[in-house]
Amino acid sequence: MTAHADTLATGIAACDCLTPFGDGEATVSALLAGRRALEMRPVRGRDGGDPVPLALIGGEMDEEIPPRWLAPVREFAKRIPAECWGSARFPVVITSSNFGVGSLYAFTRDRDPRHLRHGPPFAAVELLRAELGWGPNVHVFSHACVTAHLGLAHAARLLAAGMAEQVLVFSFDFVSPFVAGGFHSLKILNGAMPAPFSARESGSIGLGDGAGFAVLARQKAPARIETHALHNEMFHFTGNQPDGAGFAACAAEVAAAVRGRRVWIKGHGTGTLEAGRLEAETFARVLPGAPLVSWKGSLGHTLGSCGLVELAVTLAALRRPLRTVPGTLGAVEPFFAGNVAAAPFSGSDFDAVVLGSNAFGGAHAAMVLSIE
Amino acid sequence: MAHIDGEDPPMPERFIHHLRVERPAASEDVVAARDRLREKFPRVALRRMTHLGMLLGASLDGLALTPADAIVYASNYGETRALEDYLATFPSASPLLFQTSIHPGGVQQVLIGRQQPVGRFWPAAGGARIVEQALISSLLEPAERVVLLGGEERGTWLLEAGMASERAFGFAAALTRDRANAIGRIAFAGGSGGSPADSVVGDAETGAERCPALAEFADALAERRPLRWSGVGGTWELDWCHE
Repeated sequence: MTAHADTLATGIAACDCLTPFGDGEATVSALLAGRRALEMRPVRGRDGGDPVPLALIGGEMDEEIPPRWLAPVREFAKRIPAECWGSARFPVVITSSNFGVGSLYAFTRDRDPRHLRHGPPFAAVELLRAELGWGPNVHVFSHACVTAHLGLAHAARLLAAGMAEQVLVFSFDFVSPFVAGGFHSLKILNGAMPAPFSARESGSIGLGDGAGFAVLARQKAPARIETHALHNEMFHFTGNQPDGAGFAACAAEVAAAVRGRRVWIKGHGTGTLEAGRLEAETFARVLPGAPLVSWKGSLGHTLGSCGLVELAVTLAALRRPLRTVPGTLGAVEPFFAGNVAAAPFSGSDFDAVVLGSNAFGGAHAAMVLSIE
Repeated sequence: MAHIDGEDPPMPERFIHHLRVERPAASEDVVAARDRLREKFPRVALRRMTHLGMLLGASLDGLALTPADAIVYASNYGETRALEDYLATFPSASPLLFQTSIHPGGVQQVLIGRQQPVGRFWPAAGGARIVEQALISSLLEPAERVVLLGGEERGTWLLEAGMASERAFGFAAALTRDRANAIGRIAFAGGSGGSPADSVVGDAETGAERCPALAEFADALAERRPLRWSGVGGTWELDWCHE
């Protein structure tokens, strides 16, 4: 037995993202044009190392003072609708898996203590809060690559409990030698571009900078998040249960929520082999006929922010007149399952979208998005 | 404890059942902890566990979890020592230390060691009001039982920079809606506390008081001391049953 999914529908009053291509609209345009933001870069930035696929905002990942994420995040935050964020009735939920950890790497390199002021999560959050003028009602989550899903699910609970009028969920993750070096040491960030859901001899991922926000409200809105499902395997730090039970536990919850509706799936699809196979096979089984896409072959994996960045990309695609959904860039046949959509398709033919993410520790998260 | 008798209007609350707090001697390091707690963990797992992981695991000792339980975890600094040690391995980054350094690795070490899946897991990651956030997550969670975990480990060079905990500690509290046989209670009354505040450490104008730090909260749990403070949006209470 596992926990049941939350079914607390929340309206999305506003949502956007920042990737190396720009905002959600620019990102969709680039994806539909088949462009990759990933480029081969030294894994330790100016300290060198093997070339690996990275999608960077500004082109470099070495930390500066102030941290390199601050200026683009500050500019991006101007898109957030004005409200007294961080006050009692308008909480902010900040999600990230990196926060300012690149600054800790920078400190170990040049010993400038100013880097330490925004290294740990709480310090990065305080910097962000001060820069953006948010009050003290700030909730912070970090659960590796499902973090943004947790933030959105927590926001839905705050709204359902009457503890908020609106909730701002804000996520940011910028790549640094700290995290690139870590994934490189695990050998999944290597010299190959990611090919999500593709049955290759070896897997590979790319990493990308990304930020996103969503303003959630109780009021009805054309776009709504209806369901949040979560599951944690606790089988292995970096591996999944070989029988796919963890994927199945989470997917079954969202499949029950969309029964009878036509859906497509924005999968996690980083480009690793085992997780990619389990994800594609599981969704093919529990949601037969639903096309499965991943955009990490172009944008890279935006880590803790991927759930929110890819939600914003989804909404931007579905706001376009033809509702064309970008396909799985970088995917090469044969695929792990027949549901993988390599080419763009029309989102007009569907009633809802399932958005899934996975993380270290066998963490799984999925949500259901519906759009009128 | 008057509130547990059910005399007062209903308010969001959870009752404390299992409670265990680890407050090791200030001198305890990871090696000493491994020796002190070696009976509690499988030998292979113990070798790789961090100080924080061991303290959280020891706090959970005697508490059998199920997949239906929800876990709320609070740590301001997380895997401080693994993070420091991982950075020291560059340019040949250690994959093991990378994995271990990632929040919420302290809890994952324990639950992976137990091979214990859980449905919902809410790792809070820092801030002056992290205790409030963890308690809100606990009260909003629909699971019958919520296990509230918290903890820190001492840093070295990060501590010198004021970016790590001065103390190591860990706690686990099983929270249910069942007042029978409870040892304590956590409750929130909305509306009577603070409102928009300009300072994270409290605001005299609006009434939001300083939120107890995680270590203070752990001490209150360990010493069965009541706490009451006006938080953002309402008033928090931690109180205890008297035998």
